[in-house]
Amino acid sequence: MNSLVSYDWLSEYVDLSKVTPDEFARRMSLSGPAVEKIIPQGKDLDGIVVGFVTEVKPHPNADKLRLATVNAGEKGMLSIVCGGSNLAQNQWVAVALVGSRVRWHGEGDLITLVPTEIRGIPSEGMICAANEIGLFDAFPHSEREILDFGIALPEMNVKAGTPVADALGLSSDSVMDIEVTSNRVDAMGMVGMAREAAAILDEKFLWKESKVLAPKKGKAEKGNLSAKILAKEACTRYMAVRMEGVTLNTTPWWMKRRLLSAGIRPINIAVDISNYVMLELAQPIHIFDADAVKGGLQIRYAQADESILALDGKIYTLPDSVLVIADAEKPVAIAGVMGGEMSGVKSQSSSIIIEVATFDEVIIRRGSRKLNIQTDAQLRYEKGLSTAAPAFALARAVELLTELTGAKVVGEVVDLGQTMYKAKSYSITSDEVNRQIGITMTQKSMVDILKRLGFAVKTVGKKIQVTVPWWRDHDIEDGRDFVEEIARIQGYASIPAEIPFGLMPRPIDQELVWERRIRETSKMLGMTEIYSYSFVSEALLTKAGYDPKRMLYVQNPLTADFAVMRTTLLPSLLEIAAQNQERFTEQRLFEVANVYYPQSETWNTLPDEQLEIGALFIGMDEAWRAAKGYVENILSSLGLHEVAWKRLSGDSFWHPGRSVQAFYKGDLVATVGEVSPALLKNFKLERAAMVDIPLEKILPHASSTKTYHPDSVFPEAKRDLAIVIDRHVEYDDIARAIRRVDPLIRGVEWFDTYEGQHVAPGKKSLAMHLVFSHADRTLESAEVDALMERLLLALKEHFKAELRG
Amino acid sequence: MQDQLNALKLEAEQAIVQAADVVVLNELEVKFLGRKGELTSLLKGLAGVSAEDRPKLGALANEIKLSLERAVALRREGFEQEALSKLAESERVDVTEPGKAPLQGHIHIVSQAIDEITDIFSKIGFTRTRNPEVDWDWYAFESLNMPGDHPARDEWETFFMDAPVSKKGKMVLTPHTSNAQAHELERGEFPVRMINIGKCYRRQIDVTHVPMFHQFEGLCVDKNISISHLRGVLDYFAREFFGPDRKTRLRPFHFRFTEPSFEIDISCGVCGGTGIGADKQKCRVCKRGWLELGGAGMVHPNVLKASGVDPNVYSGFAFGWGVERTYMMKEGMKLDDIRTLYKNDLRFLQQF
Repeated sequence: MNSLVSYDWLSEYVDLSKVTPDEFARRMSLSGPAVEKIIPQGKDLDGIVVGFVTEVKPHPNADKLRLATVNAGEKGMLSIVCGGSNLAQNQWVAVALVGSRVRWHGEGDLITLVPTEIRGIPSEGMICAANEIGLFDAFPHSEREILDFGIALPEMNVKAGTPVADALGLSSDSVMDIEVTSNRVDAMGMVGMAREAAAILDEKFLWKESKVLAPKKGKAEKGNLSAKILAKEACTRYMAVRMEGVTLNTTPWWMKRRLLSAGIRPINIAVDISNYVMLELAQPIHIFDADAVKGGLQIRYAQADESILALDGKIYTLPDSVLVIADAEKPVAIAGVMGGEMSGVKSQSSSIIIEVATFDEVIIRRGSRKLNIQTDAQLRYEKGLSTAAPAFALARAVELLTELTGAKVVGEVVDLGQTMYKAKSYSITSDEVNRQIGITMTQKSMVDILKRLGFAVKTVGKKIQVTVPWWRDHDIEDGRDFVEEIARIQGYASIPAEIPFGLMPRPIDQELVWERRIRETSKMLGMTEIYSYSFVSEALLTKAGYDPKRMLYVQNPLTADFAVMRTTLLPSLLEIAAQNQERFTEQRLFEVANVYYPQSETWNTLPDEQLEIGALFIGMDEAWRAAKGYVENILSSLGLHEVAWKRLSGDSFWHPGRSVQAFYKGDLVATVGEVSPALLKNFKLERAAMVDIPLEKILPHASSTKTYHPDSVFPEAKRDLAIVIDRHVEYDDIARAIRRVDPLIRGVEWFDTYEGQHVAPGKKSLAMHLVFSHADRTLESAEVDALMERLLLALKEHFKAELRG
Repeated sequence: MQDQLNALKLEAEQAIVQAADVVVLNELEVKFLGRKGELTSLLKGLAGVSAEDRPKLGALANEIKLSLERAVALRREGFEQEALSKLAESERVDVTEPGKAPLQGHIHIVSQAIDEITDIFSKIGFTRTRNPEVDWDWYAFESLNMPGDHPARDEWETFFMDAPVSKKGKMVLTPHTSNAQAHELERGEFPVRMINIGKCYRRQIDVTHVPMFHQFEGLCVDKNISISHLRGVLDYFAREFFGPDRKTRLRPFHFRFTEPSFEIDISCGVCGGTGIGADKQKCRVCKRGWLELGGAGMVHPNVLKASGVDPNVYSGFAFGWGVERTYMMKEGMKLDDIRTLYKNDLRFLQQF
């Protein structure tokens, strides 16, 4: 979570006189909370000065405009045309001089002022409304009302001509945007941040705790506050006190300015004080209008059908897992998240209840997520707060309310839950610290650092015994945690960088090696690799003819598009090809990824994650042949040279006449062919061929061993053969039959199949190159002729083949 | 006979010199010098010449033959020279036309990044491993010192599988590659130097998040492993991956499974770590001269204990970073929308 930290405010709690904001940012980032941005304050107010209206005259040409004479100090007396409804003589106003930048009527971009004439009268500047100079949140106003410092900022005491940024105390300030890690909720408050800064910069920590209120016993006064925790595990401490005689004065500017610097809009003094204490101490506080609370308070879970109108103006129906603060009748606040509108402090409230509590972080987090509300209070509560914090925060709130509203504590202080606090204590040895960091530090410097951070430390020999202050009781869980505290303050940059050596690397998983080779081979074959999501929609699977029923479902998918863990890569490939089809008619795609097969019907074991290759070919002549060529190449690159191809039929995904499977030693190693037109139609695709290779099944057979076969020194004899056969006879059978005729036949290579003119219907012509060779001599032409005769005879006998004329 | 020979020589020489092109020259060669050519047929007449004159005439004929052969060769060479000199014109092509594109394949940039990262770590003895993507809660969370109520274990952060709860908890899609830590430590083989690169899943999708992405997880566990070693390995990686002039720094951070935990920053390659761009304005790429690379830390003793490793004997460091993010930082690639990586638009894929 990021905090906006006013440098000026922070320097009240830690001595920053010796560092610049830049240096502060650098040193803090390296040892603690990271300063991400430094935002100088008041920059937009350049050229805008405080002016005093000495005279107001009517505008001769316009009813709604008037002519003001304004004392702008060094700039002299300015004549300014102004449309402000509340413009009056003797008024202190904000004057934008020529050259300064304003936002007309608080809308649009900043515009640079130039000398101008309004309805025929020259104007030497502009008297601004607060929303025209970015101060609306500080000084809210109605339409056409100019900023009247006399009312908005009575404590202001400056000369005419003073820059507004100076008058508001902004020009000397910078706001730091600081990332605070989730375990350091203490540093989300100004005091905690100051404590960090004091330790990191080794400067003085200046904060003094307010005096904790002693719980008053006895003396039951009228209207004594009562409260009861009904959900003990959810509310670990609950403090509340009633204050009467509240005067809702205007919040003083210093407090407003600090709230604004942290990005919080001032509301009224009571709410402002509760926010201010939260910003200071990182402990949320809630203030109720005591008159709106009926009977005693209860901390309990919401009941059936309860709802609340919250401070954001929305009505929330409350699930029974949401913790609430309720009075005798109804919920008055969503505990730790947001107050209720009805019990909020209003302008007429004079009696208030201040509540400071500790809630279980998980219950707050889950409740706010259920209701989809995010607030400053909830963001702090869900990090986990100490049960010791409420007493300090309550004391601070009471102190400020007393001082700024004249309110007085009435009746006893309610304090329930874990009212006794026991500090945690852990130990570590200085040897262990040095061993973990990899340097040598003295025990004394370790102890110094821990003390600077607010830890109480004792040492016995090498042992360092550390008592954890309450504000760190959630993030320090073990003595080991002090290593970080010491190392970061010492500075990570002082730790030498060293590569651990002397280890024998383990052999790499062969599957990873093959996976990479397959990608590289595929690339060389002109294929483009895709990456698709492991989870797909039921609709996609169904579209591709797969039944998702036996697949593993995501219980809480983001959308229906990511619902099922796929057992096949093919549907995603089809979808991607379809998406690209308009721009790329010819596509060669592949993916290597895991699919997730069930190992049991009931899914009580993890799915079997199998690495597979999927590929798709579309938009070329004989896509199936391109696909098969790819498979042959991949299988051969895996060292699988002797595969048996078997025609595939009866699988509705694949084209019944154009698909085939490869087997190696009985294992299915690839399926390849065209996809059934019935399914392709669902994707608006035509003639796509696909490949499905269960890589994990192949890898046991894979080998990268290459054997050298010396070539025969004797020339080979080559002949071409063209035969006519029934169109159902397959080339693979012919080729095998030819090879069987004689070992001297070394090679059979297909080069053409033809059906049509000059070939009888139902027949096809098949043409092959044949290679003959003998290891020990050159074959005579007559010998080859004889072999040709014999093999032709064999083909005639087995396949009724005829030599093509 | 002698005159006839001389006349033939003269005729042939003239014809050869006047031959218009190499085709004519070839015809002349056949006509005069071929097996059935004029010189041969003239020489048949030698039989009828006196024995006394025969050697002289024979020598003359031979001389003429050689001379004509030379003339033909010379003329042929002339033609070749001439053809070569005209080649620039006669065989001119427009060489500014593009070459014929070979079939060009493409490996996805995520694969390219994974390969590069694997290679860098393998040089210092970190072996890549494979681990489940669908895993038990124990490996994804519990063994990593993440308590049962940790936000990451909420249903709006992590994907759960529609499967029964086992002794090792719920079945989840691992939200990080850190699930490899317990799998690796359980093997009980030390020292450990692992780099696990794989798919991770989180319930987020917007311009900077995809529900499936990749991480690489380094784990080094041995006796006496300290922060110093973590710095050494990360420095090495940053130099190898991003370039020799880049520096890293550690900043304190917080993760459940490491203690201490760090955020690793790398000096900005655009402004050279100054935080000030070429236009003298604040660098648009980095934060004050540094870019966040990712998280790291010393393995939490509870993580070691969870896998039965004695934290008093062994210590280690771990880091786990997004592959996509790290790679884009290296390439200075600005993807307005990270989902582009998984949209599989060929116009995008074929740029790599």
